Amino acid sequence: MSALLEVRDVSKSFGAVAAVAGVSLAVTEGRLHSIIGPNGAGKTTLFNCITGEVQPTAGRILYDGRDITGLPPHALPALGIARSFQRTSIFPTLTVAENVWVSAYARRETRGGPVLVPADRVEGVGETVRAALAEVGLAAHAERPAAVLAHGDQRLLDFAIALAARPRLLLLDEPTAGLSRQETQRVIAYIGTLKGRYTIVLIEHKMDVVMTLSDRVSVMYFGRLLAEGTPPEIRGDARVREAYLGKRA
Amino acid sequence: MLFLVVSQIINGVVTGMIYALVGVGLTLILGVLNIPNFAHGVLFAFGAYILLSVLQVVGNFWLALLIAPFGVVLLGLLLELVGVRRLYTAHHDYQLLFLFAVALILQETIILIWGPIGTSVLPPAGLQGAVNLGLTVYPKYRLAVMGITAAIVAGTWLFLTRTNVGAIVRAGIENREMVAVLGIDIQKVFALTFGLGAWLAGVAGGLASPIMGLTPSMGFDILPIAFVIVVVAGLGSVPGAILAGILTGVAQSLTTIVFPEAANVVIYLLMGLMILVRPQGLFGKR
Amino acid sequence: MRDRWIFLLIVGVLAVGPFVQREVIATEILIFAVVALANNLILGYTGMLSFGQATFFGVGAYAAGLLTIHAGLPLPVVLAAATVLATGLAVLIGAVCVQRIGLYFIMLTFAFNQMFYFIAYSWTTLTGGEDGLPGVRRPAALADDLTFYVLVALLFLACLLLMKRVVDSPWGRVFRAIRDNEARAAAVGHDVRRYKLLSFTISAAFTGFAGALYSLLYGIVPIDAIHWLRSGDIVFMTLIGGSGHFFGPIIGAAFFIWLSETVSVVWDRWPMILGVVFALVVLFLRGGVVELIRRGHGLVTARGGAATAP
Repeated sequence: MSALLEVRDVSKSFGAVAAVAGVSLAVTEGRLHSIIGPNGAGKTTLFNCITGEVQPTAGRILYDGRDITGLPPHALPALGIARSFQRTSIFPTLTVAENVWVSAYARRETRGGPVLVPADRVEGVGETVRAALAEVGLAAHAERPAAVLAHGDQRLLDFAIALAARPRLLLLDEPTAGLSRQETQRVIAYIGTLKGRYTIVLIEHKMDVVMTLSDRVSVMYFGRLLAEGTPPEIRGDARVREAYLGKRA
Repeated sequence: MLFLVVSQIINGVVTGMIYALVGVGLTLILGVLNIPNFAHGVLFAFGAYILLSVLQVVGNFWLALLIAPFGVVLLGLLLELVGVRRLYTAHHDYQLLFLFAVALILQETIILIWGPIGTSVLPPAGLQGAVNLGLTVYPKYRLAVMGITAAIVAGTWLFLTRTNVGAIVRAGIENREMVAVLGIDIQKVFALTFGLGAWLAGVAGGLASPIMGLTPSMGFDILPIAFVIVVVAGLGSVPGAILAGILTGVAQSLTTIVFPEAANVVIYLLMGLMILVRPQGLFGKR
Repeated sequence: MRDRWIFLLIVGVLAVGPFVQREVIATEILIFAVVALANNLILGYTGMLSFGQATFFGVGAYAAGLLTIHAGLPLPVVLAAATVLATGLAVLIGAVCVQRIGLYFIMLTFAFNQMFYFIAYSWTTLTGGEDGLPGVRRPAALADDLTFYVLVALLFLACLLLMKRVVDSPWGRVFRAIRDNEARAAAVGHDVRRYKLLSFTISAAFTGFAGALYSLLYGIVPIDAIHWLRSGDIVFMTLIGGSGHFFGPIIGAAFFIWLSETVSVVWDRWPMILGVVFALVVLFLRGGVVELIRRGHGLVTARGGAATAP
């Protein structure tokens, strides 16, 4: 199996502070690859380098063999890369269906044609929206404003927005952050159902979430890659225990 | 020609220094409170008009210049208290719209109190007339203004860099959340910044009155220039605002020599160029 | 289908308008209603506060005035040319302004407004400078104020329908998405700057068109038409009517023109009243008149108003 996403020696400094220092990793197609580390380890900065939010100071990011370093965030969905956000990121005053529509529309097949038609009549987008809402189980809420959804439902809507882009690669930034235990369970179960259908990169700092889900785990510590392996390997790694688990014990 | 160019450059620097005072205040408020203060121009105008009234009472320009800006500070703090503070939780658009509304009210207030017709203030005794600089003969008062504004700007800079309170204001520009986390009463920092900004605008208005005269619209005239300075300077940058203020003044007065009609236009062209070439401004980080 | 009822109501009001107000005032209200609706495309729907709408209003007005006076072109050509010019200018100014977000966008639109004001002010041979550009004559068939009102009313309806279509179109929905959450809109694949520029440009096109009508209404382009205070008026109209509702700005424009016409006759310092009303709206009634209606409606139906201002 080839690597769908490859991070090559990526560094990012803010002034004198090196948030990410020479990190390399390869995400195999079809796998769920987690990047973990304590808060401040540079996970989010690395994530933002991949999504184009920030420019890496050095290094390359390759997707499907293509150099995507420095591409702006809005260029990625067209390549098949979609993301969710750490703090739920939806369009609060739009309806649930409109939220997903915005994503599906950006990836519509047919371009051109008349512009000033009602939004819901754009061909091919409606089906994608319905499928994505059904997938996350929010079809019943389609016409409600997104702002009134429960917290956990909003997180699922965030996923539906990402899925409506019909991605190959799904980037999930701490999907359980700020959720209750119950909601966390629901979101983890849901990510489990995505596994195998998409290549997934998951950023997390909760160890337990990652270990049950991941095919492969990379551990970051102070901006560097500390270890990489399968969940059992990581669990057994002395350096990881010292740096990460040790602190929790 | 050389005579003209030299005196126009000095003119530009003098005007530019006054712009810089206004710009520094505006950029501090923008940096800390995250609002473009649409009432900043009218505070400048009040600085001039209050000086006019105080001068009529005390009879001494310097004394009036010392007193008048504190009237402007009171006005600024009042605005902060009744409006801006109430709107912190609202979108920042509403804060600036409130300040815009206030600017309209205050502009009309000037006309109600001091009348619609412009007036002027004489430079203080001893600084009337000109001095021979060799290359050109130059009004004494304007040279004094250059020195005074330089001192005020330096004082402001020392306050910001050498005092604890100043450090908090700077921290507020860099990272507002952090200041709140440190347990500092951010409300007080906001009020202080607004007050300081108002004081700078007030002093600038007072100093400018013998040079530019007093008209009710003087505040509305200087406001867009102050915005240009802030944009060119970069968000919250004090040195940037000083440099941008002087550049603006000089660009304006040099254009007057070759193409007087364009003197007011040129600074906006400079701003447009700046945005295209260096969007974050001279000293901006973001 | 409430929109349809509102639309019918508007047609009704247009029919009785000239009997309630002087024709020129009724016409001016409609012209500024177009301007305020156009401003709401960017303010209410895209979340961009522009303090430079008078740039496009003024340029449209000057262009129409000059073309009428010097070229003697037929009215449709004049209106079209003025609109195209304002639109083209908006592309240039917008391209610079959308580089920066939020506060910078506001200051930049404002500063460019001032620049064009100074151009109009200084280029006296072309624009008449401070005295304004007089002598903009309407075609003989439209010389009568009532006839001109009817034309403007029809054009107003056309603009209204067109803008409604924009709002309901895919563009309109993406605009709203950007207003709600810019980072998310970019992350799903929309080039936010391009959409903002699009919104800004569409808005300016309608504003320039309205400016052209304005020059024909009074036969003169006053320098005030392009002053940034005019931009402030436009924001005022939009907000006081209610930027959270498509039709809200129409109410705001009507209120503003009515206020300025009645109060300015009595008191020279009327902008002060404007400032007071504006401050009160910003402090206590951010959804504008529309929110007031919603609240009233909420009391009547005992459901409580679910007003959300963008």
